[in-house]
Amino acid sequence: MRFVGLENFRSIFFGSFGAEFRNALGNSFYFFILNSFFELVVAFFIAVFLTSRIWGRRFFQTMVYLPNVISMVLVGFIWAMMLNPQWGLVNQLLRNVGLQNLTRVWLGEADTALTTIVMVNIWRNIGFYILVFVASILNVDPELMDAAYIDGASNWRVIRHILFPLVVPSFQTLLILIFIWSFNIFDIVYALGGIQGSPFRTTDVLGTLFYRTAFGGLGSSAQDYGLGAAIVVVVFLMVIPLSMVYAYLLEKRRGG
Amino acid sequence: MLRLSLPMRIIVFAALILYVLIVVTPFGMVFMNSFKNMREIYQRPFSLPEIFRFENYERAWTSARLGQAYLNSIFVTSTSIAGILIVSSMLAFMLSRFRFRFRKLLYMYIIMGLALPARLAIIPIYVILTRMGLVDTHLGLIIVYIATGISFATFLLKRFMDDIPKELEESAVIDGATPRTIFFRIALPLTAPGMVVVGLVNFVSVWNDFFFPFIIITNRARYTMPLAISGFFGEFSNRWDLIAAALSLGVIPIMIIFFFFSKYFITGMTQGALK
Repeated sequence: MRFVGLENFRSIFFGSFGAEFRNALGNSFYFFILNSFFELVVAFFIAVFLTSRIWGRRFFQTMVYLPNVISMVLVGFIWAMMLNPQWGLVNQLLRNVGLQNLTRVWLGEADTALTTIVMVNIWRNIGFYILVFVASILNVDPELMDAAYIDGASNWRVIRHILFPLVVPSFQTLLILIFIWSFNIFDIVYALGGIQGSPFRTTDVLGTLFYRTAFGGLGSSAQDYGLGAAIVVVVFLMVIPLSMVYAYLLEKRRGG
Repeated sequence: MLRLSLPMRIIVFAALILYVLIVVTPFGMVFMNSFKNMREIYQRPFSLPEIFRFENYERAWTSARLGQAYLNSIFVTSTSIAGILIVSSMLAFMLSRFRFRFRKLLYMYIIMGLALPARLAIIPIYVILTRMGLVDTHLGLIIVYIATGISFATFLLKRFMDDIPKELEESAVIDGATPRTIFFRIALPLTAPGMVVVGLVNFVSVWNDFFFPFIIITNRARYTMPLAISGFFGEFSNRWDLIAAALSLGVIPIMIIFFFFSKYFITGMTQGALK
């Protein structure tokens, strides 16, 4: 082993490896943006409905959580079957309802692959976020809502002015978790885009780039712990302040 | 609780049914295809299998060595959970019941690991395991899982122990109880629900983990479940009938466990994650 100073960090930000790093960083960020929208905004509304007076609430809550207990790689392979261009259910379904021209080689085309993988990731994980929101909505004092209804408030106003403000703490903590987890994604991309981030690196994320760099890209390049470690250090620096905030928030709320 | 008008309730109900279909269909599709042959999968992916070909399961089970993988996963998971519970319950007891220097600091240090993914430390972990001769062993994997599980377990168990009334402990001390008896006779039994939550949460995360075995384990005989199926997927990349059978074998047992304990899973995950 040889000491190279900041050489590895220079490679990360500049030159040909720099381009690859920025590509992976951008894709991880894309994960973060889409994850946040679905796992916070959409999940919140689903949770609102799951806590309203509706038949089979318990059943729905269980089903929503189901994909979460299945291993991410297995979820990836299951969706690899769903998305098979010839006989996969997704394209079959589109053909059967007459939307022929929407059929795609979902995982093989540069402009759909990454989004498809992100959506599979959300399909598996959103249940967790929904149920966290369900739990915090159920903590809201029912009298508060009853009073609002007596005063003639509409559902939308109840959601906006009572439910939403009271679950803001959950939004904060979940946003931190989504940020941290988004930059650590590996399994689902490995399962659906492969270690090379196929096609053409369009699905490459920091996790797969790191693996190729540090542990060898399955024959395509030599393994380089130093450069790999430099990638992790960058992720670490992004993530560690947030995990401190997270720990702080959890403790503060306990006290209050 | 939101009050919805009847038409609104029907719309929401229909939307939720659609949601459930989106959740269930992929599993159902895999299960259906696991009984078909390749021709049927290509030609009639929607329909029920003509006949139930259990030989797919037989071949998948033997060629992916799923029996071995199951034993490995059961061993690694149960040992890790036991280790996490032993270490964390003692740690939580110390942090909750004793006052000592740097207690707060130690506690903050532990719970900082709550949100910090251990995979970020994979290079040092790998180097340390190599030096200890633990690469490609279950013990190496188990040590990693225990280390990564401690944060959450200690955090949760400490909360449970904090809630034990002081009077209970005080009267035990008057009766001559030592810290040891208090730990075994009072603290542990009263945190049992917390231990169940810790056990389930770690069961899911350890059982399903792919990243650490992927890097640490190389010998096929030591593959855990996700790794074995992933290896099989790579090897039989176009035999969708066998892949479907292997996936079913990986998914169904976990689903059964989930439906049995769904109440615990759900309360555990949600109250554990943030409260």
